[in-house]
Amino acid sequence: MTPSAIEIMSPASPNALAIAAQLTTASTILWDPTYTSRPPPGNLRPTHAGTLAIGSRTDSSISVRSLGGDHQVPIMDKRHPSSFQQLEKLGEGTYATVFKGRNRQTGEFVALKEIHLDSEEGTPSTAIREISLMKELKHENIVSLHDVIHTENKLMLVFEFMDKDLKKYMDSRGDRGQLDPPTIKSFMYQLLRGIAFCHENRVLHRDLKPQNLLINTKGQLKLADFGLARAFGIPVNTFSNEVVTLWYRAPDVLLGSRTYNTSIDIWSAGCIMAEMYTGRPLFPGTTNEDQLQKIFRLMGTPSERSWPGISNFPEYKPNFHVYATQKLQNIIPHLEYDQVGLDLLSRMLQLRPELRVSAQDSLSHPWFNDLHQRQQHQSQMAQQQAQQAQMGGSNFQIPQGAY
Amino acid sequence: MASAPPKLIGNPMATVEQLETSASQIDGIPKELEDSIHFAGARLTQLAGILLRLPQDIIAIAIVNYTRFWLGPEGGSLKKYGAKDISIASLYVTAKLSAYPRSPRSVINVYAYFDAHETTFEHHAPNSPNPLDPQTYFVSEGTYQARRLALMRTEALLLRTLGFTTDTALPYALAITYMQTLDAFADHAAGSALTKRVLAHLNSALFSPQKLYLTHQPAALATAAIYLAGHEREMKLAGEDWWEVFDVGREELGFLVFSLNSQNGFAEREVERWAGRKVPLTVLEVEREMGVGVGMGVGMGVGMGV
Repeated sequence: MTPSAIEIMSPASPNALAIAAQLTTASTILWDPTYTSRPPPGNLRPTHAGTLAIGSRTDSSISVRSLGGDHQVPIMDKRHPSSFQQLEKLGEGTYATVFKGRNRQTGEFVALKEIHLDSEEGTPSTAIREISLMKELKHENIVSLHDVIHTENKLMLVFEFMDKDLKKYMDSRGDRGQLDPPTIKSFMYQLLRGIAFCHENRVLHRDLKPQNLLINTKGQLKLADFGLARAFGIPVNTFSNEVVTLWYRAPDVLLGSRTYNTSIDIWSAGCIMAEMYTGRPLFPGTTNEDQLQKIFRLMGTPSERSWPGISNFPEYKPNFHVYATQKLQNIIPHLEYDQVGLDLLSRMLQLRPELRVSAQDSLSHPWFNDLHQRQQHQSQMAQQQAQQAQMGGSNFQIPQGAY
Repeated sequence: MASAPPKLIGNPMATVEQLETSASQIDGIPKELEDSIHFAGARLTQLAGILLRLPQDIIAIAIVNYTRFWLGPEGGSLKKYGAKDISIASLYVTAKLSAYPRSPRSVINVYAYFDAHETTFEHHAPNSPNPLDPQTYFVSEGTYQARRLALMRTEALLLRTLGFTTDTALPYALAITYMQTLDAFADHAAGSALTKRVLAHLNSALFSPQKLYLTHQPAALATAAIYLAGHEREMKLAGEDWWEVFDVGREELGFLVFSLNSQNGFAEREVERWAGRKVPLTVLEVEREMGVGVGMGVGMGVGMGV
């Protein structure tokens, strides 16, 4: 027992721990300068945590076969695949094929994601990760996982049906792919809300692109395809740097960083915002190097002075072509008269990850102010309706023991 | 969206109903035999993980997943599924989801090595005078293919039974953080000796018949391990009821310390009870152990898991 250890807990007052009772976390008291000379550890992050939302950490969620999840998770019946009618193919990915489907009982449309079971490796880790993350992430801007059908040779994920992805939406609705400013603002807000929710729940999406953002007829935008997503409680240095489609990939990842964080999703969101204005991808690189060059051509080539430590990145080359920084509005003339929008975009498209705005902070950016007013009005309306409904005596219960 | 809720490091916990009885007991397997098999299966997972050079946190999660599979009336029954099959599937899938995936071939080879032993608790050390004849644990290509298919089926069964919840928050790193806050490393030698004991307790808790990792949160496990280790080494850690700072009550601490402390005796009794014998880790071996005749062989036992 050393003197300093005694100091931490020594009963100077009759009960030193009385203070603890008034505090919420252990760390706030443990580094109280009154009791220790040791510097506080900064923002103390748990070294490892599951991705379960608080509400899910209840007694019942360990229940075998319960797909867990809190909030109002729709009841997940154990259905046979045939109770969904398989309709046209919607798309094909590296590890899955997506079909439109119809629930035979309710007639409701769903998206059926059929996972190819690799007989060499078994159930793909991407699928396991996607299921374990998606069942925790229940949010109106994240596509909802209704059910998992797992049979001897097939794994099928049943998602809520969405009409189009953002890419197709832009091709069909846009003027040469360009969307109108109110739509862009609404989509950006929903995109950032979805991202913020992921990040709060310690999940990185890692593969945001227009093809992974789904739009329904109500104009709702939802994040999909969490095959590359992962919980970031685990040591970050093991992250693979082979993530995120090249065009939306953050410069730090392109430079070979393996300790990237939530800011990589923000970079992607910035690229998507620009693309909605122009109808064209902002940085359509063909290779890793070409991608970096396209970014530097617009953002200016960073140096050790503008980005301390950049020369330590594995992919850093001292002979990068030196470009001067250009104005964003030269590339996106639509934003010339929208300085506020331009400000948000430039906060997302920062070369240095630590300078990028967080998803949570971006939501309170002034650019979204008019959206908030509209929403407040809408939510008041909704509240009134809900009150009326309650008066009607309808009694909602959260389904339990699902799947 | 409302403001962000505070985040905790926690795991879903087993319910009272799930702890009261198990599918195996409903199927007539005596509790004592069930405990023996779970212990041997968890230990096998640990040993295989070491031979596969997996980090301890991956092995620990594999053991927790293995333990969760058998939990409660809705869990797997030893009448239908062999403990060895679940152990191998759990280790394989947990490694696959980590940064240290292992090939099916490596995993199958390692389990074949342990299988070749005549007894569960006596091992031939690799450099002992009488090492195991390599022929006894050679896995031919044909056998490998058959076992790999079985492994893939068991993996799917395990994932379904776990509801695809495959991640677990562990107490190891937390314990180190707690010890730092208690200034346990002020004397470095004493601190690292204490750490060894703490980690040892946390590791042996993985094999506990009380299923401690399914009944207590990482913070409580870490605190109890530190308390017990400090007690054993007669190291006085802070003055008053320091564990309360880590949100652990005296009663919970007492139970955990008692359980951790009894772990050694439990393990010794198991080794004694199965001396010179093999703990039954397959459906067939369990039937034989219980003296049930042939004709009930469910064999593969990879059904649809209801």
